[in-house]
Amino acid sequence: MKLYIAKNEGAVGKRIALDDMILTKDLPTAAGSRMLDGYMSLFDATVVEKAMAAGYAIDGKLNVGEFGIDLMGETSYYGAIATDGHLVSAAAAAIEDGATAVLSLDVNGAPRRAAAQSGTVCVKPTYGTVSRFGTVPAACSGECVAVTAGTAADCEALLDVVAGYDAKDGTSLPDALRGEAKPIRRVAVLTALTDGVDAETVARIEAAKAALSKNGIEVAKIDGGELIAARVAWNILMSAELCNNVSRYDGIKYGYRTPSYKTIDELYTNSRTEAFGAFLKTVILFGSETLSTDTYMKVYDQALRVRRVLVEYFKSLFETVDAVLLPACSTCAYEENVDPELAFTENLYTAPASVTGLPAVVFGGVQLIGDAFSDKALLQLADLCEKEGK
Amino acid sequence: MQKETLNRLQKLNQLRLTDAEETNVLSFFAAREEEMNILNSIDTETVERMVHVMPIETVVREDKVIKSFTREQLQAGAPETTDGYWQVPRLVE
Repeated sequence: MKLYIAKNEGAVGKRIALDDMILTKDLPTAAGSRMLDGYMSLFDATVVEKAMAAGYAIDGKLNVGEFGIDLMGETSYYGAIATDGHLVSAAAAAIEDGATAVLSLDVNGAPRRAAAQSGTVCVKPTYGTVSRFGTVPAACSGECVAVTAGTAADCEALLDVVAGYDAKDGTSLPDALRGEAKPIRRVAVLTALTDGVDAETVARIEAAKAALSKNGIEVAKIDGGELIAARVAWNILMSAELCNNVSRYDGIKYGYRTPSYKTIDELYTNSRTEAFGAFLKTVILFGSETLSTDTYMKVYDQALRVRRVLVEYFKSLFETVDAVLLPACSTCAYEENVDPELAFTENLYTAPASVTGLPAVVFGGVQLIGDAFSDKALLQLADLCEKEGK
Repeated sequence: MQKETLNRLQKLNQLRLTDAEETNVLSFFAAREEEMNILNSIDTETVERMVHVMPIETVVREDKVIKSFTREQLQAGAPETTDGYWQVPRLVE
């Protein structure tokens, strides 16, 4: 069990930690996988360059689930981080250890679930507003660099530093395409997505509703059952993109190479088979199947169409409310030996923002999703609610 | 899913599963197939696919020479190199 895969013992001043999906030239990056164990990047990710230029020191690289697709790091090659039989948020542990904030790649909601379970604040920004250049690619059409911190104010401070157009990232939004957020005055609780969560999560939703009301926010209820499809669509798109992205790991140019091979096919197959974990292999095969000739139109193509339906759904929803309130996960703790496949159902709560690119902020164990570019407005609302709870 | 399909996918993806892993994968696929009902219940006949959530066209940039990495730097992480080339097994006998 390792909290830090690599630690910069000399870091002083304002320190931040990075999850191990973010490339650094002075510290190794393994993406939680044996495939990249000991891999040294030739460059820093743009977010790392920006943070360092703003005076943040890099504290170290935090353990992460293999390619960031699991629940909360349980599939890491280096072992899950757990205490008393339950998974622990690496980001929260780093913050407790003195880091001001943590940058993570939110592929399938893991940073948001970790924030909800640890009582920290996490923002998954609007897609395209924070550069992904120099992150290990997994599911490029929805993954974002997220910021986790002990307070909404610390989250906002680091988000301000790392956000902005980056010509090196083909999906980075030019300034002209970045919109202005309107103030958040009305929030709707998504009742269809609060059914089936544990009692403590229900209590956190109730507490958030009360804090919002006390801050003059009108709180309404809507069903939101349409968003259940987001999970299914994201499972397909994420798996297909992951399958393509990890096809580059072949044991030739970099990464793990098996010691046991005679032919080139054996080199490829043995390297990948020995280096990838069981859950990752499962997801690769599923992603590959969604892209095969027989299923492409029925499955992958349908997921892309449903993505548009969901974007339109949110668009119409945000004509009447400014944000929606929902859990970030169904429970307040995952068991240490949890089945990682649960990440494909537990992302019921995180996939709506992943698949549509909308910003989401987790605070007080709950999640707010707002319209595009409302990141700061959501964080400021979280800040008000935090103060209300103190 | 048929066992033959799973074999084909393993070959395509240069992966080999144990028997226990195959059982797990088949059960995972069954769960995913079942949840397709949720997507199929949505009428998308007149809906266009959405690949990118943001209105960004394919990005192109000026074709100009920039400083890049040296061969030594690029091969620093290679499992095996010989005389500045990536070493692979003999492909032709």
